[in-house]
Amino acid sequence: MKPILFLLTLAIGLSSASCRKSASSATATQGDGTSPADKPLVIGVAFETLQTEYWVAGFEAIRADLKQRGWTMLEAVSDGDTNRQLEQVKNFITRRVDGIILVPKDSKTCLPIIKAANAANIPIVLFNRPADKSEARSVAVVADNFALTKETVTYLVSEAEKSGRKHKAALLIGDLGDINAIGRRDGFDAAIKGKESVIEVVARIPTEWSQEKAQSGIVNALQAHPDISFIFTSSDFLFPSIVSALKGAGKYHKIGTPGHVILGGFDGDATAYQMLKEGYLDATGVQDVYFEAKQCIDAILDLRAGKILPELIRDPGFVIHQGNLEAKSAQMWGAQKR
Amino acid sequence: MPSSRPSKETAGLILPGVLFRRALGSDYFVLGLCVIYALAVGPFTPGFFTPENAANLLSTALPLLLVALGQMIVLITGGIDLSVTSIIGLCSVTGAMVMNPESGGLGGDMLTVPAGCIAMLLVGMLVGTANGFAVARCRMPPFIVTLATMMGVGGFAVWLTQSKAINQLPPAFNALGGHTGIALAITALAAGCVQVMLNRSVFGRWLYATGHNPRTAHISGVPVGGVLIAAYACSGMLAALASVFYTGQAETGSPVLGQRILLDVIGAVVIGGTSLSGGRGKVLWTIFGVLFLKLIDNTLNLLSLSIFTLTIVKGAVILLAAVLDAWRIRVAGHPA
Amino acid sequence: MNTISAIEFSGISKSFAGVPVLRGISFKLGAGRTLGLVGENGAGKSTLMNILGGNLLPDTGGMVLGGTPYTPQDPTDAARAGVAFIHQELNLFANLSIAENLFLAALPRMGSMPWIDRRALHDRTATLLGQVGLAIAPETLVEQLSAGERQLVEIARALALEARLIILDEPTTSLSVRETETLFSLLRRLQARGIALIYISHLLEHVRQLCHDLVVLRDGEVVAQGPIEAYDTPAIISAMVGRSLTRLYPERRGASTTVPLLEVRSLTQLHIVRDISFTVHRGEVLGIFGLMGAGRSELARILFGLDSAQYGEVRMREKVINRREGPRERMERGLAFLTEDRRHEGLCLEASIADNLALVSLREHARTPLRLLDRNTWQQAISTIRAAVRLTAKVSDAQSVQTLSGGNQQKVILGKWLLAKPEVLILDEPTRGVDVGARFELYQLILDLADRGAGVLMISSEIEELTGLCDRILVMSQGEIRGNFPRTEFSRERLLVAALPREAHA
Repeated sequence: MKPILFLLTLAIGLSSASCRKSASSATATQGDGTSPADKPLVIGVAFETLQTEYWVAGFEAIRADLKQRGWTMLEAVSDGDTNRQLEQVKNFITRRVDGIILVPKDSKTCLPIIKAANAANIPIVLFNRPADKSEARSVAVVADNFALTKETVTYLVSEAEKSGRKHKAALLIGDLGDINAIGRRDGFDAAIKGKESVIEVVARIPTEWSQEKAQSGIVNALQAHPDISFIFTSSDFLFPSIVSALKGAGKYHKIGTPGHVILGGFDGDATAYQMLKEGYLDATGVQDVYFEAKQCIDAILDLRAGKILPELIRDPGFVIHQGNLEAKSAQMWGAQKR
Repeated sequence: MPSSRPSKETAGLILPGVLFRRALGSDYFVLGLCVIYALAVGPFTPGFFTPENAANLLSTALPLLLVALGQMIVLITGGIDLSVTSIIGLCSVTGAMVMNPESGGLGGDMLTVPAGCIAMLLVGMLVGTANGFAVARCRMPPFIVTLATMMGVGGFAVWLTQSKAINQLPPAFNALGGHTGIALAITALAAGCVQVMLNRSVFGRWLYATGHNPRTAHISGVPVGGVLIAAYACSGMLAALASVFYTGQAETGSPVLGQRILLDVIGAVVIGGTSLSGGRGKVLWTIFGVLFLKLIDNTLNLLSLSIFTLTIVKGAVILLAAVLDAWRIRVAGHPA
Repeated sequence: MNTISAIEFSGISKSFAGVPVLRGISFKLGAGRTLGLVGENGAGKSTLMNILGGNLLPDTGGMVLGGTPYTPQDPTDAARAGVAFIHQELNLFANLSIAENLFLAALPRMGSMPWIDRRALHDRTATLLGQVGLAIAPETLVEQLSAGERQLVEIARALALEARLIILDEPTTSLSVRETETLFSLLRRLQARGIALIYISHLLEHVRQLCHDLVVLRDGEVVAQGPIEAYDTPAIISAMVGRSLTRLYPERRGASTTVPLLEVRSLTQLHIVRDISFTVHRGEVLGIFGLMGAGRSELARILFGLDSAQYGEVRMREKVINRREGPRERMERGLAFLTEDRRHEGLCLEASIADNLALVSLREHARTPLRLLDRNTWQQAISTIRAAVRLTAKVSDAQSVQTLSGGNQQKVILGKWLLAKPEVLILDEPTRGVDVGARFELYQLILDLADRGAGVLMISSEIEELTGLCDRILVMSQGEIRGNFPRTEFSRERLLVAALPREAHA
């Protein structure tokens, strides 16, 4: 065992001795921030996943914004591995980045990551997923899930009222470990409160953010209640599953044709945009990715300047529907060509 | 009219010197690769030669090394253990449940942390033993057994927690798991034990014999079944030990902890030189293999490469290492 | 006499890593004649044949094949020139049919289409199988064939390539007596067709039966050559080993006693062995003779707990061995077993000599409290046993056993069991593929063990070996013991008659 221990100590010794200089010079250039906004910054961006369009859109929005400012972006994706994300953020810290933008796996496992950034005195902003309350200090930019969902569903209910009959409804719920999913569920419930004469919820389908689970859930629901005529999904990325289930049941019809099922969603991705354009989708609540990206970067600047920021910065978002499709599509990320 | 012609084969085999051949055949070959790689890439990698980075590298390499050592033991027997990542997840969840003040009921007792750690190790050993039993007594192929365990145990961990992470772990545990010095000491101790076991114990020699040729081993009186069960139990226990550190670093018990490291584990062990077909493997090799893999990860993270290029570069570097290794075995191996 | 020779070697030399293996080999073989190539393991036979077969290139020297210079760069060149090499370990694909194996390189096509012409394949294969006297459907998978049948398929493949020169390396190693006879009559037919053969074997009797000419190699040089009639067996052996062996079998110093060690009573396993009873005494070398398939190896495996038996009793030193005991428990009772399958059951081929030697007796070197190995006693034991079995001094303990010759490998296995100090040693075909010089040393070790009071049960298909060594010989046939011959009644004919299967209800 002796050689192993020897080598380990040697490795540590070498790396610490040989380049202490470069480390200290890096600290020096960072300085005390007399004019932090003027010189190009280095921002570490660590995403938990790039597996759905929404995250890719967010990633690209941040990249574009940073490029415009002439700053450098360091990229890392941890594929759902919390320990790997911790390692990646520690690497950012080693490189003395000026700020970190993080999409954590969930609201709990990110706490050590935030603490590490706090300890190195590097501002850290959470993109779209806030952390649990703790002594770790961070700022999160999130869509106002509750308000936006409530607004979207209120619009859908008003459409339903026009038909003059009662609708049986299905709700696809996200992963309840995700605070965003809870906000959207509560927004839905708040919107239909007092509307019992129009909407009767017959199926609440837990999806855990999985397309497979959503697919089997909606197929089962349609089997049990063939007269479902109102579906809301907590995220647009589940639409392909819903559409295929509806087609299978012969219930996929355009708005205004008999047998149309009122559809609503959240996010504003490309599928949703396509469905809006073709006249199948009634409305979706759009998270303003560009606004969120800008808010994240601005928050880093503010934190570096020593400002006190609230723990949550809200993205109000907007509802896009058949009535405002042309006016609003320029702001909808799913409508942009990539 | 016989033609006389020098052989092209012998000409190709002539090497600059014995030293070169010795370097290729040496246990330290992969370490050499590490040094060359570090010297080649380090100067262009901002922040690479810093003490923070060394500590960083170490803190992520240590738990990986623990899992890799267990995997190596199984590979030596000619098997494979795909279930290590699920064992990490399950142990993380069990440990967290025991130590969480709400679910555990130990209520911040002095014994909370030791109880949690022991629970984790026990669970790891139990799952490993079950693997070994299926391989040795039911004569099932290790790949299928541990694949099934991977799925079953992973699913069980998710079910236990209903997919939620458990936090509020005792601060003492987080400090233990997150402290690189403690991790270094424990990993070094574990590596030392494995080294002694492989080289100086009867069990170690049985392990290699089983891997080389189980039929010969059986006829020579080696309790092959017992050796296999013990090997998988070791792998499970080392994965559980790694889980202590992974959980402590994340300060959270989560069923999906370590789900993505399986290929890193097997990759590190094989790059080190352990054979997938059994009978070959050394602690030192595995240490260097882990070091090499983590070095690549670390430098690629520090370089400002696009995430998409990064994965490709990592694959290419590992392939290059594998090619070099194959070449060295051909050149430094026994001449006919 | 024909002036063009089938093959002519002139001045062939070859070294590996500076060690000369062949030094200026020159000889020729007349067209249509058969050459017996003999020599101890490591004498250079395989290297020379690998050069002829295109697997290796010579350092110096050249070859002339049928009157034209012959410089094969790879085995394909050799095949094209009409040289076929039939290896000791047969090179057939077990998962393919006979027909596919024969024509793998050039499967007949449907015109220029990429589909295989099954009918042509079938017909051509059937013709070739007829030539080698094998009445089996061409579609049969090779894995269903016996060793002898596979040998014939190999020769059919050589004929498919229209070979003019066929090299046979130890072709009879895994063949039964009957299969050997079939092979020899086929080889004689090939001789009659004018095909030249090079026949490599340790069994001089076979060489004598089949060959016209003889070449003896020793240490990479030709030490004797000429027509076979010019050499008698002792002359060939002394040429091979470089000294004259006055005896083929060492002298027995001790003698058998009447103290029973291993007692077998009415051992029966349906369709395998039936009502086997015998006793191995202290100091006795008991031989078991039988043809292939007589149940000898199966009996040995049952005795060592590798296979099970339905009825009967086995006692070791008067204590009954439980039927469920495995090799480990039987080892502890003093049994040891050298299997016939050296490569797959006897050795860990890639492991070192030291590890192989120590495997059985490891626990003797474990020291409490942690049961760690005591390197000193371990090393001492290995050195002692290496000297005792006279393992070649050229290799280090750390070298892998696969680099050793067959004889030295067998010494390693024997050494491994001797370290366990067995009371009864069961040997199954211990000298298969072992050259004459090493055989003598193995015999010596076996007799020494008996002289020290152990019992030896030796299974062999070579009558000479058994009559030379044993105190008593049992003959097995069809799973039963058909004869028990004390030393005074040894005779080749009587043993063979007892070993031949009886007609049903005769």
